[in-house]
Amino acid sequence: MLLPTIVAAWLAAPAGWDAQSTLQWLGRLAGIAGFVLMLVAASVSIRIPGLDQPFGGLTELWQVHRWLGTGAFLLLLAHPLLLALSAAAVSPAAAAEVLSPPATHRAAWFGWAALVAMMVFLAPTFSFFGAPRYQLWKRLHALSALAVLLGFAHTLLLNRALPAWAWWALGALAFASIAYRLVWRKLHPGARYTITAVTPLADRVVELALERPRGQRMRFDAGQFVYLAPLDPALTAGRRQEHPYTICSAPADPQLRIAIKALGDATAALQHVRPGTDVLVDGPYGRFFEPGEQDRELWVGGGIGITPFVGRARAIGLAGAPVDIDLVYCSNDASRAYYLDELVAIAERVPGFRVWPHYFRDEGPLDAAWIAQRCEDVSARRLYACGPAPLLRETRIIRAALAIPRRRYHSEEFSFL
Amino acid sequence: MKKLTWSAFVAFWASVVTLLVVGALAPPQSAHAEPPNRVVTLEELAAHATAGDCWMAIRGKVYDFSAYIPQHPTPPSVMTQWCGREATEAYDTKGYGRPHSAAADGMMDQYLVGVLVQQD
Repeated sequence: MLLPTIVAAWLAAPAGWDAQSTLQWLGRLAGIAGFVLMLVAASVSIRIPGLDQPFGGLTELWQVHRWLGTGAFLLLLAHPLLLALSAAAVSPAAAAEVLSPPATHRAAWFGWAALVAMMVFLAPTFSFFGAPRYQLWKRLHALSALAVLLGFAHTLLLNRALPAWAWWALGALAFASIAYRLVWRKLHPGARYTITAVTPLADRVVELALERPRGQRMRFDAGQFVYLAPLDPALTAGRRQEHPYTICSAPADPQLRIAIKALGDATAALQHVRPGTDVLVDGPYGRFFEPGEQDRELWVGGGIGITPFVGRARAIGLAGAPVDIDLVYCSNDASRAYYLDELVAIAERVPGFRVWPHYFRDEGPLDAAWIAQRCEDVSARRLYACGPAPLLRETRIIRAALAIPRRRYHSEEFSFL
Repeated sequence: MKKLTWSAFVAFWASVVTLLVVGALAPPQSAHAEPPNRVVTLEELAAHATAGDCWMAIRGKVYDFSAYIPQHPTPPSVMTQWCGREATEAYDTKGYGRPHSAAADGMMDQYLVGVLVQQD
């Protein structure tokens, strides 16, 4: 990623380092580096089951995507400004002309169009105009394909520093990734499952049990998630809209189970989805639990964030072998502690699996002392946390207070941005 | 991160609007300084045809770009092939159909040597 920028920095270096030449050089580099970042960000936005694993899961991969995209945005904002400031050394009119070139200067206007498209599709990402809705964010983000195309035209027409084949090579990956998303995924939106049961767990929380028509099973690890799009024609919202949900069945379970809490229109409608209707499932993705040898673990789950732990606990329950795991289950009160009975039943059966319910209404926010009173040698445990943002904030403080090394802390937040 | 990008977004538009307004309000430059009285013939122009001593005729005026060539954004050969010659078309098209910017026009005056006379 750095390589094209360094090569360009060298190739485009001016002979003199007066303010004008230096600003122009920086402006061109900002453009080159920004667009390289944008192409790489587009390339890693691809979503194929398994491909996310080398990156530590889809959530991690998208974190990389976010950093790249943010870097690209900031650099590409600086790009025209630096070039205009460089021209300001000649005259204010020359600076204005860089920003508002003659209509015949197509390449420059391609650049402007790309930048404006980028602002539009990133506005919800960065909450420029208030918190976005998932579907709106997703639809606007598709504009990124247009921004990449326009940016590519701009770059090829104006590029002097790097050979054109270098841009084509970088562009090919980005375009492949975009084509996969916009064309292939539209034609192959996921595997068709049938809902065999809808079990209410608490107010506004249900568990769906899914089966494939010919009994095929998805191979996944506990803690992974899928994208699910319901097809039930009677749904009042969210039909054919995909959302990510954690799998809460054990990998050996013949049925794929998914718990859904009503957080928005689509998830509220799903509370009333009818058994016998179909859903499209794409996955599995993500990597919550560290693969490999068994460890001494401390789990902190809250709200619908209990689901990855339920999936893993069910797997542990089926295996029956001893473990060394403390689960702190945070909920407002007993009525919101869905799955608790099942988790306690597993704890009674499996040696070394302990469940500690924590009720916010009775005990206030969770803290390190509360955990230390119940769990032995917490500092030596690997800490997994999943839940709403306030709980995860607490958990980060708790991690530091319990002196658990950062590399032994894993969390997953329920937010798409 | 959201605050940073929002600040950058606002700063960007503030700067763009400022530059455009200043550009529109600034008095036009006494753009083309009085051309020096010196008259240059094609023959004389042709005598300055090396990278170290490079004159070019553009739109009827003669410029000495010897000092500028190292600063030009392209490799020197793009310019040096026009040393000692009439180069208006090269300047107007950059070799691929696109004219130079107003910034480039504005920079040229400082290299002005004289006016070209076409002899029969």
